[in-house]
Amino acid sequence: MSDRSNLCVIKVGGSLLKDSGSYIEAAKNVKRFVENNQLPIIVVSAAKGITDTLLEVAKGSVESFNKVFDVYTEIARELGSQRVFKRVLDELEILKRIAYSVSGGYDPSLQDLIVSFGERISKILMVEALEVVGVRALELNARELIVTNDVHGDATIDYIATANHLEKIVNSIVSTAAVPVIEGFIGATEDGRTTTLGRGGSDYTATSIAALLKLNDVYLVTEVDGILTADPSIISTARIVKVMSYAEAMEAAMHGAKRINPKAFEPLEKFYSSTVYIGSWRLFGTKILQVIPGECKGPKVIMHKTSHEMPYIAIIGEGVANVSFIKKVVDIIYESGVEVMGLQTYYYRPSIIIHVKRGSEISTLKLLHRKIFEEVE
Amino acid sequence: MKSVNVAVVGFGNVGRAFVKTLALKRKTLSEKYGININVVAIADSKGMVIKPSGLDDYEMLKLCEVPRSGIHMFGSYAKQGVDIAEIYDKAAPNIHVELTPANYATGEPGYTNIVFALKRGAHVVTANKAPLVLYYREIVEEARIRRLMIKFRATVMGGTPFLEMLSSMKSHDIEKVEGILNATTNYILTEMHENLLDFEQALRKAQALGIAEADPSLDIEGFDAAAKLVIISYVIGKPINISSIYRESVAQISLKDVLDAVKQGHVIKYVATLDTQKMVASVKIEKVPRDNVFAQINGTLNGVRIKSDATELFFIGRGGGRIETAHTVLDDVIEVALRGSA
Repeated sequence: MSDRSNLCVIKVGGSLLKDSGSYIEAAKNVKRFVENNQLPIIVVSAAKGITDTLLEVAKGSVESFNKVFDVYTEIARELGSQRVFKRVLDELEILKRIAYSVSGGYDPSLQDLIVSFGERISKILMVEALEVVGVRALELNARELIVTNDVHGDATIDYIATANHLEKIVNSIVSTAAVPVIEGFIGATEDGRTTTLGRGGSDYTATSIAALLKLNDVYLVTEVDGILTADPSIISTARIVKVMSYAEAMEAAMHGAKRINPKAFEPLEKFYSSTVYIGSWRLFGTKILQVIPGECKGPKVIMHKTSHEMPYIAIIGEGVANVSFIKKVVDIIYESGVEVMGLQTYYYRPSIIIHVKRGSEISTLKLLHRKIFEEVE
Repeated sequence: MKSVNVAVVGFGNVGRAFVKTLALKRKTLSEKYGININVVAIADSKGMVIKPSGLDDYEMLKLCEVPRSGIHMFGSYAKQGVDIAEIYDKAAPNIHVELTPANYATGEPGYTNIVFALKRGAHVVTANKAPLVLYYREIVEEARIRRLMIKFRATVMGGTPFLEMLSSMKSHDIEKVEGILNATTNYILTEMHENLLDFEQALRKAQALGIAEADPSLDIEGFDAAAKLVIISYVIGKPINISSIYRESVAQISLKDVLDAVKQGHVIKYVATLDTQKMVASVKIEKVPRDNVFAQINGTLNGVRIKSDATELFFIGRGGGRIETAHTVLDDVIEVALRGSA
């Protein structure tokens, strides 16, 4: 078995991939890992906005196809190689043929096939960008490696079959010393039908690869420096959460936290507890571990959501369900006179849910954030 | 450690899957079988790469990333134009892997390439049916007189070792071979039955999924299945001519035909039959009872029944997916490498 200690996984999110410059920028950042003697497996998303546009293509929109065509051919042209430009054109030609054949109505398998081109072409561009900046790179094919069930649009990875595929190629790939690039978000059934893994599926691809290959580090790169204590568009003083546990991250995701896909933690829970770093190329501000030290327990994130037309605030963090913290929250609410419709907490879940009257959720959120996250420290 | 030098001619879906599979598996193969398989040349329709010392794994994997007919764009060792003689002059391959597309009108370029390779002393492995269908005797004779091997397991039920098994039944008198030999038409019929699509819709879906070609006529007119019957007939030593095979077009099946068949407890299948007792062969639309084994062969699966004077066998497996076919081609290459005198 070849040495895998220098392997890690880096997922490059679509929000970062807007134009040729951003592919080059991503490639330069990957190069820093390589220069640091690491061999990252790159999981790449579709360029920004492309997945939504491809969903329109699947509904028969010619205009949307033209938009995808323009975005990807422009990036390919700007990256400079005739070979890659032709390659992207070949892929777009296949996409066009498929898109024109779906006039017969909605077919989830064809929709997945069409949407998959977002990542397929993005992968080609990422490999080219890496080579432009002087990094040896190779394409891996998610449809050959990531095996899923046949729930089109929200497929689940078959870990055993996928682990078998990954194990068979990993040694050969490591021995080429080239950075492998694979599409996130897509896979295929055992009989070869293309599937997609649902929103945030690229994270799920990344953590599955890491867990199945027993790799220590997964980097999920987005345009922000990490997970924030609250939505910064509501609370300008929100700050980065430095350390979280899997349980906290999953709980936050269940309540609708952006940038966390709950499915992504399943392989980590089941197979190998890789450390997940979330952040930007500049700063991977949030580290997510299976178990966090005692001193890191406490409230991490506060958010609001509406369920069954009832707004609620969720405070997430291991230890928030203990009586002293509940008392603290109740005291804050009591002292401020907020009208509460209900309060829910279970000792086995890292959250407190506070149901509030419609219209008061933002002010309550701000109040609790200030009292819990700002005035304490 | 025994080393063999391989030239790959034809670099479409199967060619790429073959080179990729070899790049990823050859280290294991060398440990397991003591053979070192070097790829010394690859050609597509417009260009070629020649490296007499053998391409490394990285180069092989990168070659699989070039555009269609774009091998000449591969920086190192690549050139425009195809000259098979130059490959043999410079790299002296001892196994020739012929993966060019089938042309049933002329058998070209496969036939000329195969004969050239044999004349230059290379064993041949091919997945291209056309040269065998049109010139089986000539090719086999050319190989025989030079004591070279010609292997073509990938031509019928390409994802399985079906032909190998059939040719091993030497003591049997094979009376009949029948079955579903074409994955594309079987997929179309499955879609018509399961999703109640009409023929055109099912064909369009098959094309969208890459199962059917842009020009699907070889499949839907029964030519592909007939060609497979010809190869089977040669393998069992009772040759028939492709022009003598009766063929019906699967395009004539309507959704109403499917519904009528289902009401009667049947499904419609496209069945290829070689009857060696009557020496007749056909590719026909047949109504098959729902409990018949062929009724269970759906999607891109193939299924064949072999009836001999001693036994009856069923063989079910994937037809011609590129990965499966590439493995069958590689199996042939390994066998030649192990047994051949090269």
